[in-house]
Amino acid sequence: MDNRIKEFRARYNLTQDELAKKVGVRRETIVFLEQGKYNPSLKLAHDIASELKVKIDDLFTF
Amino acid sequence: MVFLTIAVFITTVLYGYSSVNKNMANTASLLPIIITFAIAVFMIFFIARRYQDIKQGQPLEDERSKKVMTKAAATSFYFTLYWLLFISFFEDFFADQLFKAEHLDASQTVGGGIAGMAIAWIVCWLYYNKKGKLI
Repeated sequence: MDNRIKEFRARYNLTQDELAKKVGVRRETIVFLEQGKYNPSLKLAHDIASELKVKIDDLFTF
Repeated sequence: MVFLTIAVFITTVLYGYSSVNKNMANTASLLPIIITFAIAVFMIFFIARRYQDIKQGQPLEDERSKKVMTKAAATSFYFTLYWLLFISFFEDFFADQLFKAEHLDASQTVGGGIAGMAIAWIVCWLYYNKKGKLI
């Protein structure tokens, strides 16, 4: 599953650490998510999409 | 975790002390001390990492770290089954090479099994935490 977290994160000038704190996960989780090495739970995907103000469909591509 | 690390350290020191007292400071008695010491060092590294995380305001656990733990535990469980089989098949070899005895006694067999299990878990945790694709 690919994602555009890095791209949307850059729009809001958010660092990985800041995004991690906002959604309540560890920084490594965001790192692995962006590298496509981890698939998030539906809740985490929803939280990230809410923080980046996009739809889940736009953030994650199957 | 801190309590467990202290307990492992105390056990290692006591075992080392009793081995030296009994003049058993050979390969057979040093091996468990080295293995236990390595496990204790890993635990200290683990605690230091957690302490740093607390200072940086990161959560100690999240969904990925829980998944890493679960996957490491599952993989090391399978490995341990083979490891225990390996010990039982090659019991005579280990007894002869390490202890110059005909058979391993219960504590040596169980100790070998537990040490193998701990090492397998550490290796799996390090792998999944650094490289593993958790998809």
